[in-house]
Amino acid sequence: MFRFIGRRLIACAVLVVVIAGITFLLAFSGTSNVARNLLGESATPDQLAAKNAELGLDKPLLAQLGTWAQNALHGDLGISWFTNEPVSQAIANRLPVTLSMVVLAVALTALISVGLGVAAAVRGGWLDRVIQVLSVAGFALPNFWVALVLVVFFSVTLGVLPATGYVRLSESPGSWAAALVLPVASLVIGSTASAAQQVRGAVIDVLRQDFVRTLRARGISPRSVLFRHALRNAAIPALTVLSLQFIALLGGAVVIEKVFAIPGLGTLTINAALQGDVPVLMGVVVTLVVLVVIVNLVIDVVSGWVNPKVRVQ
Amino acid sequence: MLIRRCSALLAAAALVVGAGACSGAGASSSAAKTLTIAAVLDNNSFDPTQLNIGNQMQYWSPVFDTLLTRDKDNKLQPWLATAWKYDAARTTLNLKLKSGVKFSDGTLFDATAVKDNLVNLGAGTGQNSYMSRSIATYQIVSPTELNLKLKSPDPGLIDYLASVGGAMASPKSLKAKDVATTPVGSGPYVLDKTGTVVGSTYTYKRNPDYWNTAAFPYDKIVIKPMTDLTARLNAIKSGQVNGALTDTNSLADAQRSGLTANTTPVNWNGLLLMDRDGKLVPALKDVRVRKAINFAFDREAILKNVSHGQGALTTQIFNTAGDGYDKALDSTYNYDPAKAKQLLAEAGYADGFAITMPESPGFAQYNAIIEQQLGAVGIKVKWVKVPANAVIPEILSGKYPVAFMTLGSQSAWQDIQKAVTRKSPWNPLKAGDPQLDKLLATAQNAPAAQLPAAMKAVSKWLVDNAWFDPWYRENSVYLSDAKTAVAMQAYNVAPAISSFSPKE
Repeated sequence: MFRFIGRRLIACAVLVVVIAGITFLLAFSGTSNVARNLLGESATPDQLAAKNAELGLDKPLLAQLGTWAQNALHGDLGISWFTNEPVSQAIANRLPVTLSMVVLAVALTALISVGLGVAAAVRGGWLDRVIQVLSVAGFALPNFWVALVLVVFFSVTLGVLPATGYVRLSESPGSWAAALVLPVASLVIGSTASAAQQVRGAVIDVLRQDFVRTLRARGISPRSVLFRHALRNAAIPALTVLSLQFIALLGGAVVIEKVFAIPGLGTLTINAALQGDVPVLMGVVVTLVVLVVIVNLVIDVVSGWVNPKVRVQ
Repeated sequence: MLIRRCSALLAAAALVVGAGACSGAGASSSAAKTLTIAAVLDNNSFDPTQLNIGNQMQYWSPVFDTLLTRDKDNKLQPWLATAWKYDAARTTLNLKLKSGVKFSDGTLFDATAVKDNLVNLGAGTGQNSYMSRSIATYQIVSPTELNLKLKSPDPGLIDYLASVGGAMASPKSLKAKDVATTPVGSGPYVLDKTGTVVGSTYTYKRNPDYWNTAAFPYDKIVIKPMTDLTARLNAIKSGQVNGALTDTNSLADAQRSGLTANTTPVNWNGLLLMDRDGKLVPALKDVRVRKAINFAFDREAILKNVSHGQGALTTQIFNTAGDGYDKALDSTYNYDPAKAKQLLAEAGYADGFAITMPESPGFAQYNAIIEQQLGAVGIKVKWVKVPANAVIPEILSGKYPVAFMTLGSQSAWQDIQKAVTRKSPWNPLKAGDPQLDKLLATAQNAPAAQLPAAMKAVSKWLVDNAWFDPWYRENSVYLSDAKTAVAMQAYNVAPAISSFSPKE
């Protein structure tokens, strides 16, 4: 198991370096207008040149990459060019916000999709058909549209939930929960639709296998067959889908944060990309890559723990 | 049993969430003396050299007093400076200062503090550092009086003193390490760091030592950056905030929701005809061609259909509240494509010509109109795609003969510095004319009483020579809820904190 984790960690480190390098080259090659955007329309060519020198943009691209990487390895991700906020502080403030939303959404997706998927696979008939139709509908609805409908109904019309914003858990647990209800619901509807179908398919496949027939022939109760044996074998594809959902939800959170004015990593990324705030963009990309890599690693380890065949492979 | 447990859990969850929802709807349920507003942009900095006008003024106006201020009628009024007077040559501005005012770190506000702030601003690299650069030397007469000696007359200076140019911070804070995040002003409020999360919420509480508390009715100010228009609208409709900027497309929806629309015509929309000397497109050197472009656009239809009638037709770049605006000029170029064609033919361009324009995603709604209306008189447009964050640097680079733009307008001299002189950034091809130079010199040196006439003469020359093609002045729309009154300002798209008051 340790060798398995070690191999995964090395692959992860390589991935972080490659993606950070590519992002750096893409982002820094488009910084010709940054000084003008920062200093405004009346800045003279001398002032623009001085600003470029202050930001290090007058150096060759590889030299800039070297400086950034050296600082990043020492934990210094730089300072936002547009808000003067240290990048590590900006990320530290916003990461818990996005994670609150995404982790809750993944947990709820797992719970609901397993429930729906198993029910559809085991019961079949009209329940299966209804769940399938709902899954297709949920998958087809864009999450930003769902978010807007939820806001109009629950916030503007009924006034029972906040339309925008985020409250820290330490500040008020009730307000924290209230602020997350609609954003999480917007994310969960789409992701559940997709995951429930995968769980249904996996459970049906497992239930058709020979060992399940043998278990039934030995007189094991249907409940035990399902929960102790079939679900464990169906967990691998379900876990893979959930890890993909986590990554998809991080992407979905960018739009949802915008709709609900939630100050998370998504909002930070959009603003940084629109302004050309490269230090922030780099910091966010590296953070997200590390996050995705960790999630994949955890899923790999859990899959190996659940099913030893995966470890051997 | 299981069902009963689940029901109890659900009820508990509903209670927790319900309680949170109530506390989350801040503006509607919190104390009556709290003002919560949504801002279009996040704050860039509290460093006095980096302060901006426009939307970001809302962040610094609670903490920094200015030397002068503007009243509801846009007239300059005393604030930290109690009186101001130019000498006959208009190269020395005498300022008398309020005594007994302290910054929030206890430092006394005096003439030296004014000098330190103006020197600091001029030496900085912010967008508004130009505001104090016409000052050559400072003569401190007493702690409450100083003279600003100018390099040459600057008719915009006193306007700047009511804006970023007059924002006063404690001299001790100007070079502090945390100057960007910790404002130390003498303003009515101080930044409450415990209630502030950068990028999410900025909270201000009353400055206990403020000298004019009565002018500011709120005990607490909360500003929430919300870059997304839909989020701002939902926040104000659901009672989370008391005020928010919107656009003309959302106005009808907002009014149906019972919100009040407060408007001010700060920006003008239209074409910058930058190649007046014909360096890139020789045809544009001919005034008849530039006039033809002015006649080619159906301003009224564009205002009605794109901006939903929110604005007023114009042919001038100057703000209606400033010295340069002359209402009589606004009907100079009524839509007349036949006349446009005739002028083009007289200028030798009966078969038209081509121009290259930057195509920005931010102005997508205008591009088809520009192409169609110019095409109808024979002028072909070739578009060059430009990313949204590069559109201003691209236009200012001097690569384009013509560009669409929404430009803010403030005082007449400020607008002249911005777009009319040979050194102006929005005159990137550095066009000029001896007659215009003479008019500008007259305006620069004019005594206060003759200034409006001199500025109007500049405006008339610009319109007669079709230096620009303004279509209309579009309203900035600021929404407020039933509990909040807002007095819009003529020179700023978003109201300053002093412009808000609770409705009785």
